[in-house]
Amino acid sequence: MTGVRAPRGPRGLIWATLRVHRTALIFWGLALTAATVCLVWMYAIADDARRGNVPCAEPAHDGYPSCSSVEAITVDDTYTQGIALVTTALTYAIFPVAAWAGGALVGRELENGTARLAWTQSVTPARWLAARLAVPAVLLTAATGTVTLLGLWARQDDDPNLVGDWYYPDVFLGTGPTAVVYPLAGLALGALAGLLLRRALPAAGVGFAAALLLYNLLERNRETLWPTVTRAEAGGFELPRSAWQMGWNDSLTRATYHPRSHFWPLQYVETGIVLAIAAAATLAAFAVLRRRTP
Amino acid sequence: MTAVTTLDTPAAVTSSRGPRGLLWAMLRLHRWALWFWLLLVAVGAGALLWAYGPGADAAWAEYHKAGCGSTTPPDLGCDLIGPAYTRYDTFVGVGAGILGLAPFLTAAWAGGALIGRELESGTAQLAWTQSVSPARWLAAKLAVPAALLTTGMLLLTLLHRLLWSTDGPLRAAMGSRSWYQGTTFEANGTLATSYALLGLAVGVLAALLQRRALPALGLAVVVLALLTTVLGTVRPYLWPLETLTNKHEYPAYIGMVVDEGALTSTGARVADPICVDNTKCLAEHDIVGFYRDYHPSSHFWPLQLVETGIVLAVAALTVLVAFRLLNRRTGAAV
Amino acid sequence: MTETAIEAAALGKGFGRRRKQALDDCSFRLLTGSVCAVVGPNGAGKSTLLSLAAGLLRPTDGTITVLGAAPAAVRERLAYVAQDKPLHPQLTVADTLRYGRELNPGRWDDQVAERIVAEGELEAGARIRTLSGGQRTRVALALALGKRPELLLLDEPMADLDPLARHQLMATLMADAAEHGTTVVMSSHVVAELDGACDHLLLLGAGRVRLSGPLDDLLAAHRLVTGRADASLDPHTVVESRTTGRQTTALVRPEGPLGPSWQATAPTLEELVLAHLRAPEAPALRLDDVREAAV
Repeated sequence: MTGVRAPRGPRGLIWATLRVHRTALIFWGLALTAATVCLVWMYAIADDARRGNVPCAEPAHDGYPSCSSVEAITVDDTYTQGIALVTTALTYAIFPVAAWAGGALVGRELENGTARLAWTQSVTPARWLAARLAVPAVLLTAATGTVTLLGLWARQDDDPNLVGDWYYPDVFLGTGPTAVVYPLAGLALGALAGLLLRRALPAAGVGFAAALLLYNLLERNRETLWPTVTRAEAGGFELPRSAWQMGWNDSLTRATYHPRSHFWPLQYVETGIVLAIAAAATLAAFAVLRRRTP
Repeated sequence: MTAVTTLDTPAAVTSSRGPRGLLWAMLRLHRWALWFWLLLVAVGAGALLWAYGPGADAAWAEYHKAGCGSTTPPDLGCDLIGPAYTRYDTFVGVGAGILGLAPFLTAAWAGGALIGRELESGTAQLAWTQSVSPARWLAAKLAVPAALLTTGMLLLTLLHRLLWSTDGPLRAAMGSRSWYQGTTFEANGTLATSYALLGLAVGVLAALLQRRALPALGLAVVVLALLTTVLGTVRPYLWPLETLTNKHEYPAYIGMVVDEGALTSTGARVADPICVDNTKCLAEHDIVGFYRDYHPSSHFWPLQLVETGIVLAVAALTVLVAFRLLNRRTGAAV
Repeated sequence: MTETAIEAAALGKGFGRRRKQALDDCSFRLLTGSVCAVVGPNGAGKSTLLSLAAGLLRPTDGTITVLGAAPAAVRERLAYVAQDKPLHPQLTVADTLRYGRELNPGRWDDQVAERIVAEGELEAGARIRTLSGGQRTRVALALALGKRPELLLLDEPMADLDPLARHQLMATLMADAAEHGTTVVMSSHVVAELDGACDHLLLLGAGRVRLSGPLDDLLAAHRLVTGRADASLDPHTVVESRTTGRQTTALVRPEGPLGPSWQATAPTLEELVLAHLRAPEAPALRLDDVREAAV
């Protein structure tokens, strides 16, 4: 046995990254715990919420419950708000992640020289950046993946009256792989801003602004990411609620829309775009670093 | 030692034009923030003016072209949103969005760049040993941004009100935006400005507490988000509600509805048993009418001013605590 | 009678919730026109003392009076350069000097500040961000001297400078101080840097005053003695003694004539300081009032 006893837990660069960013790690843990607790609670009240949101009759007949009994159930409001809160928080995660990555993760270390401290501690700049990106990326993926899956579990049958229609911006982003890749893009954009500006506060600002731009550009153009379906009938018709309507002609005989089945193609295309941006930003960050250091 | 008077000597040998002293230092140190703020105000003002003029005209033209607005009641489908209206809505959203986002940007900047970074790097101490007492330093750090924020925010608010005063028929036609909705409510009165001032105060105090730029930035934004959420929640209860009652059905929906339900013959308020028109059911539950507690649009200013008062009081308190804290730490006479 | 530049009475400063004492029960007195070296190991409280004198911190115990008033009340009359030479990185050199001019209305002397900057061959348009450590020191000193202080507080001022620049800047500083009668308080842990420049010494150790007084008086109060290891040094106060073989070398404060068995020489500043640093238990010595009594 060698003389020095190894302490347990993570080692090397991973340990260094976690220790330097302990506040962020604690924040990550708290956010994940809060989201998990909330979603488990939502799952627990999901059945009651559905009982509070059913067709009713007054008085009860034909198997319909009486409306007064249904109306007395308020748990469906709690359920709707709880699900919406977690979903919105999940889709907004990209913004604090981008600001943090630009400011605290990369910008501050370059500004006050602690990055150079790491580079003189037998860690090459490229490995330093790789660790600075990989550790948060793994933790972010774990958290957003968990919350997304728990969210799908808590949503159960996806009753749009309770959890919103699939094409609502928050619902769309929070119920598929987009929920995982957006924060990763925020991480990469923030890190690139940090490397380019080399100062904490400007990098935090630019990282945040880049994330804001990406988010809004894709939200405004989401419906164009997959060809719409056109349906035309003489005499007019109605579309089901699950159709994401784009437009009608003046006489209401022809409509373009995305049917529900377009959810996955739209998700895949958007995920691909966001991942490509994240990868491009990461490559650019490494290129900037390589050009600047030997 | 020569006696030195600071007041009656002419300011400096090489007198250049423009602001002087601490004001010059503030504007020079935060030049980027100043430009950014001017840009933001310009973008907001441009968007609101465009929406007020060509944007609204194009949306009306589109509405009429679709054959709407000539018949009453309007055709089905007249509330469908066309590209001109979408553009109009986007520009209004940009203007109102800047008014809504500015308090948070202010809090982040005040916590980070204005105070936190200076305490972290020691440049605050540099100023304090350049004949500027900490209290004067903090006063300048608060007063200059406060003046610029107030000017910019009031300008945008006035433009938003100008737009609001003329686009009523368009809002009615498209069924969008009510006076009591969050962003609109704040953008139409004194609230947006006072929230920006609150953001400034919260950012300054967070920075004095944390003494480091990035943690102060985070703390300031989180605290401001909490404060705005709490105040937004209690908003309907800041002014006495009005109540409408009606015998057979609910009173008309004419404002910010806060509570509604059914009335029994004793006048007690109960949850609506949802009998709709079933008289037997109504009799069974002893329902003789319905009520709505609401704020009519005439309550806009009372609600607005009470909340503004609260926000400004909180901001003043925060500033007071900030001065106390700084004074306790530096032991400085003013 | 000479005025007092700094007077500390039972001065203490604790940090944090557990009140870790950075300075504890410090009393000393410094006359105007002195050039005082504040010496001590890392963590002795030098920076805390200078911050207190500059009115940047509030003492937790005792009082400190600067130029006859509370430090905060004489802000215009004192200058301070912190250890890490904080400057606004986004400003140019010219703007930094203007910063000093704008914040010191009626007091600022452009010529002094510009001369110090010019000696370093700094470009007026260069941003502070792009300067080397030594160049930043120069700008920071220009900012401090430009306000024509009566008391100049410098925390490790020369640490970033090369020997040539250090020599030149020290000469400028001393000439300026002598010309205007400025009191200078300079901290350092490099004793050699201070020798020849200072006439007053304040040695701090673990937050307390170890030595304080005019340098000549302090040196005169000590003797470096060599003698046989078995010889007695009573009744003199022994600061530090080292025995190699049969010979003992000691720094003592003589309480009377030294016996014939001892060979005595006057210690140098460096020997005086090092002996006290090596012997943290040696009793403190304050000679602040000697000169005044002699005048």
